[in-house]
Amino acid sequence: MSSIIEIRNVTKEFKVLNRREGLKGSIKDLFSRDYKTVTAVNNISMSIEQGEIVGYLGPNGAGKSTTIKMMTGVLEPTSGEILVDGNVPYKNRSKNAQNIGVVFGQRSQLWWALPLIESFRLLKDVYQIGDKQYDSIIELYKSLVDIEPLLHKPVRQMSLGQRTLSDILAAFLHDPKIVFLDEPTIGLDVSMKAKIRTLINALNKEKNTTVILTTHDMGDVDALCRRIVIIDKGKMLYDNDIEHLKSFFGSYRTLKIRVDGDLKKQSEVIQKEVPDFAVSADDEWISVLVDEDKKKVVDVLSQLQSSYSIKDMKLEEISSEDVIRKIYEEGVE
Amino acid sequence: MKLKKYLTLTRAGIIESLQFRLSMLVMVAGNLLYLIVIYFLWKAIYASADSDVVNGMTFSDTLIYLVLATALFNFMEMYTVWQVGRDIQSGKIVLDLVKPMDYRRYIFWSFSGAFVTNFFCTFLPTFIVVAIVTNGAIHMGLNLLYFAVSVVLAIMVNFSIDFIVATICLYTESIWGINMMKQVIVLLLSGATVPLAFFPDTLRNVVDHLPFQAIYNAPLTLLLDGDPDMKDVCITLGTQLAWCVGMFIVSKLFWKHSIKQITVNGG
Repeated sequence: MSSIIEIRNVTKEFKVLNRREGLKGSIKDLFSRDYKTVTAVNNISMSIEQGEIVGYLGPNGAGKSTTIKMMTGVLEPTSGEILVDGNVPYKNRSKNAQNIGVVFGQRSQLWWALPLIESFRLLKDVYQIGDKQYDSIIELYKSLVDIEPLLHKPVRQMSLGQRTLSDILAAFLHDPKIVFLDEPTIGLDVSMKAKIRTLINALNKEKNTTVILTTHDMGDVDALCRRIVIIDKGKMLYDNDIEHLKSFFGSYRTLKIRVDGDLKKQSEVIQKEVPDFAVSADDEWISVLVDEDKKKVVDVLSQLQSSYSIKDMKLEEISSEDVIRKIYEEGVE
Repeated sequence: MKLKKYLTLTRAGIIESLQFRLSMLVMVAGNLLYLIVIYFLWKAIYASADSDVVNGMTFSDTLIYLVLATALFNFMEMYTVWQVGRDIQSGKIVLDLVKPMDYRRYIFWSFSGAFVTNFFCTFLPTFIVVAIVTNGAIHMGLNLLYFAVSVVLAIMVNFSIDFIVATICLYTESIWGINMMKQVIVLLLSGATVPLAFFPDTLRNVVDHLPFQAIYNAPLTLLLDGDPDMKDVCITLGTQLAWCVGMFIVSKLFWKHSIKQITVNGG
């Protein structure tokens, strides 16, 4: 199988004006030519096969969106080479557009005032989808989700979940080879998240569409991705399958407890109690990052409970931020 | 068919603008108010003048011109700058840039639906009312055809200018000031707020060599000149066409150059 996306040594730099503070500084800024260069993406290479679902992870500001914008042709890389289905995206933006679908979790491409079906008809003409193909994909949608009540509802009256669902359907409408999903489950409730994950999985299987997914939700990653790419501060940290990553974070849980007294001081005392695990404190909770291979969370809890009166506790799965931080601190191997 | 790709945007624009009935009513009411102000303002101007004819125009000439200019403004103004500026600020522009269509065309055709509704809801009624009330002051002949052609050219010049200003928003990332400035300059220099006949000679001379007069002055002159000379018509339309092509090229090149420097908000 040949790869559908080929990224070679891509770097993207932005020029940003050095802003000064205060009114005087702002006025000076009007005439300033004092730019600094910010490297948003730093020498990234990867190749993605047709039909893969790739989780593209990283903390906020890591350069995820910038990479996606380069793949969609909106931004031009400062150096390096990107090929999407054999096209250079920023040179053949329109041609590339025919091959890709895009969903940004916080924005909608749908026509706000119109019922969903009108947006679909519009996209049908804009992407020049044939009647037959259009009918068959609508049939497919009907078999996958309960789309009928949505079709005649104006987009502005939809809930966020319904709108996101509609946006995803719209992105797949012209049967693109690649779909970019930028935080599609942001702000959604648990059942809607599950629905959307099922839908993405089904569409990927049915159409063999390549999906590039950015998210901060490890649940999305678990449910969808077989391969994971992690970047931070523009640099690629990890590119491998999910099992490999799981061995990394799978056995970690964050135990959060609340006790009397000053949390900062208490956390230092607790750190001495459980020297194997990292202990930190914020305004509300003391967090203990427990490696369950070494000791069960329950045991840690009972150990702590014997010496402290614990007011409240909760258990958290490790978040993608924590994974990334861990990888960043300890390296991949 | 290729054209279908664009006409579908027109269709959506019509449906979309019809969704907002109330806003349409408010627009009509606002216009009425504006026209009343114009009426009394110019009445005062003519009352203070020595003769009935000022700068070759009678009171009713001026009023007809200004009423139609307002109607034309409501019909042609597309608020491109607002729309594009907002899309740049919110980052939504990315979603339009990844459509399989040239962005400039995409925006133009997205607005074209509003043209159609505005033509039927504001311009045509105003025109008919003016024609009936003034009872024959507007000549009904070939000039209507010239006017129609001229309006199409005016729309394109107007759009190109708007698009150039919208492109500037890519750099400034603020819209309000730029849009206000554009509005004032265009409306004044195009003859939409004051007929160009009232301009002092030197200013008039300058304005005649700017693209703005091609937007309002040209079509209205062609419409209201009852018995136009064929040569004048050709010159007016020719100048408009030249501006149309010129501004098109400038706006296209400027956009092409600017889009490369774009840094899209939000990520």
